[in-house]
Amino acid sequence: MRRRASLILLALAVFCAALSPLLRWYAFPRLAKIPANEYQTMVLEAKNATLLDYGSMTARTVPKVTIVQTLKGDVEASEKIERTAGRDVVVWDGLSYVQGPDGKMVSKVPERYIFDAHTQEPVHATGEMVDGDQVRREGIEFKWPFLTEKRDYEYFDAQTRTTAPIHYQGTRDFRGLEVYYFEQTVPWTKVAMPRTMPVAGITPETVARTGTTRWYTTVRKFWVEPVTGAPVYGEEVHREELRGGTLLGGRAKVTAFAGHVKMREDYIEHTVSVVKSNRTLVLLLTAYLPWGLLLLGALLMCLSLHLEARARRPDGPAAAEPAPQPVTA
Amino acid sequence: MRALIAAATGLAVALALVLTLTAIGAPAGKTSPKPLLTTVPAHP
Repeated sequence: MRRRASLILLALAVFCAALSPLLRWYAFPRLAKIPANEYQTMVLEAKNATLLDYGSMTARTVPKVTIVQTLKGDVEASEKIERTAGRDVVVWDGLSYVQGPDGKMVSKVPERYIFDAHTQEPVHATGEMVDGDQVRREGIEFKWPFLTEKRDYEYFDAQTRTTAPIHYQGTRDFRGLEVYYFEQTVPWTKVAMPRTMPVAGITPETVARTGTTRWYTTVRKFWVEPVTGAPVYGEEVHREELRGGTLLGGRAKVTAFAGHVKMREDYIEHTVSVVKSNRTLVLLLTAYLPWGLLLLGALLMCLSLHLEARARRPDGPAAAEPAPQPVTA
Repeated sequence: MRALIAAATGLAVALALVLTLTAIGAPAGKTSPKPLLTTVPAHP
């Protein structure tokens, strides 16, 4: 009976010990992925921002500019791309909608971002775009990979349509979460006019004919929870200028937008709560279960060996080796 | 010999479980019917 129990415990011990690394190194990289049907919104605000009044073509200070960002996973498009890419793909249709203090649209920039669901590496397929312009992304955008490392990453900037490093600048505490702080500075760069302009009748083509160009610089800051790779907070010190041309009436440049863009408080709380919950799920596969199973396996192995040893041990004096019989001639 | 068989059984079951889990994966679901927002939402 003890022998049988010992063998069952041995099988369970091997099961647990084998499952531990299999979960961490085989199952986790295959199971942890961004769902294809993700839908999320984000509201950012720039208080006391500078905004261009297109009527008078002068910059004025406004109490608030709001940016509404939506990311929506297109499941059908991702399944179509997966058939040729041979890996799990996520297709995000995004919209950055900027609204002035009067509720009117300042700009809206749509984009399509296609990436590997597990690694967040960009996947190049038809439809990848920013504001209607076909792009070929390198690096990450919006989200870092699971198990983010303390190093610089390549980050895609949708305004300039280019990729540049975003620098790891230390570990911080953000509302009880350990986060990695990343920062990227995009220097003044000439960028395209948005396809949708805030004033009816004005198009990028009509602005281009005046010789006026749009320039942009930003300092992008992200606080990233490293287990999930999800930013829990973000800020941008963003400036845009119109330069040269006849549109400015002889002035060299005019500020189109300048502001310190921050996430709205209720969205910060919501994001932190979601990330904390997802963090637990990732830790379950990367730490809690592997370490727990390994310890359980060791415990079961000890128990199995103990039972085996007891099964082999003689039961008591009755079973003791019989005393040698006296030798008689 | 019986110990070897027990250990191999444990290993095989662990492998089968992990392979099944990863093969099943998570369902992709459906594209959300919600629109890309052009208004400021009151809350998340």
